[in-house]
Amino acid sequence: MAVQTFLFASLIIFSSIESNHGATEVSLFANLENSLEVTAKPTRVGVVLEAGKDMVRITWMLKSSAKVNDDAAFKTVEVKLCYAPISQVDRPWRKTHNELSRDRSCPHKIVSKPYDKIPQSLNWTIDRETPTGTYFIRAYGTDVNGYEVAYGQSSDAEKTTNLFSVEGISGRHTSLDIASICFSVFSFGSLLVFLVKEKRKAKLQQRK
Amino acid sequence: MTPNEDGSIGTSLHGVTAREQVFSLSVEDGLSSQAIRSDDPTAKFAIPVDSEHRAKVFKPLSFAKPHMRAFHLGWISFFTCFISTFAAAPLVPVIRDNLDLTKTDIGNAGVASVSGAIFSRLAMGAVCDLLGARYGTAFSLMLSAPAVFSMSFVSDAGSYLAVRFMIGFCLATFVSCQYWTSVMFTGKIIGLVNGCAGGWGDMGGGVTQLLMPMVYHVIKLTGATPFTAWRFAFFIPGFLQIIIGILVLTLGQDLPDGNLSTLQKSGQVSKDKFSKVFWFAVKNYRTWILFVLYGFSMGVELTINNVISGYFYDRFHLTLHTAGIIAASFGMANFFARPFGGYASDVAARLFGMRGRLWTLWILQTVGALFCIWLGRASSLPIAILAMMLFSIGTQAACGALFGVAPFVSRRSLGLISGLTGAGGNFGSGVTQLLFFSSSRFSTAEGLSLMGVMAVVCTLPVALIHFPQWGSMFLRPSQHEERSKEEHYYGGEWTKEEKSLGLHEGSIKFAKNSQSERGRKAMLADIPTPGTGTPTHV
Repeated sequence: MAVQTFLFASLIIFSSIESNHGATEVSLFANLENSLEVTAKPTRVGVVLEAGKDMVRITWMLKSSAKVNDDAAFKTVEVKLCYAPISQVDRPWRKTHNELSRDRSCPHKIVSKPYDKIPQSLNWTIDRETPTGTYFIRAYGTDVNGYEVAYGQSSDAEKTTNLFSVEGISGRHTSLDIASICFSVFSFGSLLVFLVKEKRKAKLQQRK
Repeated sequence: MTPNEDGSIGTSLHGVTAREQVFSLSVEDGLSSQAIRSDDPTAKFAIPVDSEHRAKVFKPLSFAKPHMRAFHLGWISFFTCFISTFAAAPLVPVIRDNLDLTKTDIGNAGVASVSGAIFSRLAMGAVCDLLGARYGTAFSLMLSAPAVFSMSFVSDAGSYLAVRFMIGFCLATFVSCQYWTSVMFTGKIIGLVNGCAGGWGDMGGGVTQLLMPMVYHVIKLTGATPFTAWRFAFFIPGFLQIIIGILVLTLGQDLPDGNLSTLQKSGQVSKDKFSKVFWFAVKNYRTWILFVLYGFSMGVELTINNVISGYFYDRFHLTLHTAGIIAASFGMANFFARPFGGYASDVAARLFGMRGRLWTLWILQTVGALFCIWLGRASSLPIAILAMMLFSIGTQAACGALFGVAPFVSRRSLGLISGLTGAGGNFGSGVTQLLFFSSSRFSTAEGLSLMGVMAVVCTLPVALIHFPQWGSMFLRPSQHEERSKEEHYYGGEWTKEEKSLGLHEGSIKFAKNSQSERGRKAMLADIPTPGTGTPTHV
């Protein structure tokens, strides 16, 4: 029976795991050219921004110092929200990895636009589901097959400058709080009712 | 095991002392001090019972009052509490973003989630001994339901930890569940029954890994943000707890003959003193060995319930959904693994007596721990899953086997010993989570292997458990005239004054019923003399 359960479990598991075949090329961050110039300016400077409310003005373009045909390969630019090192401390699920497919430091996609030679910009309202943390913006230039070939970021190489902080929504709601209190009271209350009823019944029985 | 097997020597002495205080029927019907066939007053039960009115047969598909009903209510209560306690684990990837948690915060909350039960399981043992299993279960369920609902108020690491700590108190239902089955079912099948009740309850830890992500997704579909959806998802375990609590109070019964308070008031069951119950539990060294052993079978299982989903999610880069399925299969293996352990313990007892039970326990727990070491070292997904499944079977079967031994450690303090052992499980989980999974010192994979090593080492003390009447892993039973009798061991829990008042009658009955733990060889050698060979009439 143990074997049967194991086989059944593995059947379910294998049929739902996404296959990782086809990644013949392994994109490494170290191999990317820093040929994009990215800036990120929050609309309110020096304060903690609120998710879902505040905006950040993001611009990206090819660096003036880039060589002539550096942009020949990229077709699309993917702009992502990345965690600054301070938001990665003691959080191994946000670890930076050289292998881009395993890198977890830039999980939030902002926008994906076709590459244009002229400078692009975007007024991005911080996503409501953005967690609390400190961030910077990074843009990847990807080729026809979707592999990253170049990048640019709004911060420096050590990711210490030009960072902005976001406060995520709490997810709490008054209606939820009230419902929670009501059900808790019901739980206590019904227990008390039973106790009292049974004590009364036992007293009656004793009198008999 | 035929239903008519009156192997319990001594049923022929039934009625001779004229102090039958446990049988309400014999008093009411006026069949007082005459010799009573052990089948007669038990005709009102749907299942064959022994001299203590405990069921001799286990029928899992029946809901017959009171035995099978107690079994089902017991394991379902425990199942619900497991769902609540580990409900946060599969949702941690969402919660950690909402509350900006670090690995340390998550680890500490995991420790907190199992620590509360250390105290509540101890208290529950006493509550069961003194107030009955029904109230114990209902208190646990309905007093911790508010804690489950209060996840809607949590806003940072501190409040998250506090709520998980308070929810964890409900794991005390484990003790009330095992206690309830131990008073409802006879010693010969207690391994299997406790194994089923415990195992099916433990399954809750697996089911929750599937249930909570599913509930979360459904709530998100209605338009809620992730950070609201996970809070609302906790309402489901909360509702379940309230509903099951009400069912326990309305449908359950403490003892085969009625509810404890009724039996106590009519003088049929004597009230015991808590101080005595506590002292005899604590004084018995075997209690503490079981405490440690359970800490590294159930303790390991509880820890895995907290970390395994996140482990597969992070290490093998799976989706929340897939990681939940894998984590669930760990907990779901309990469905047959723990009963299997209990059954193996019962079979070993039939052949080799208590010594067989102890060896079974050691083998299962050590094998499980070895597979845990392998799990930590596995770097490919299929191997990790295989190692995890084998590990789950070994460890969970060991839990079942341990509760084949526990009911025999004490009769007077059965509840408290169940409580202490259960508390040991949580203590072990707290220790392992604190040592291996709460800091960045070890990666989760290293933590798993180290936990396996610690479990192997901490399983060795089972060799030290010795029963004078039955022996131990390496030693034979005592040859001493007095000490080799079960009555001496169980009678030793009562003082002379208490014995003269006849308070120890229940223990003596239990001692006679427990002679099955001598094993086949001893039973064959101990052929009853013709005088007691006809148990049906005197």
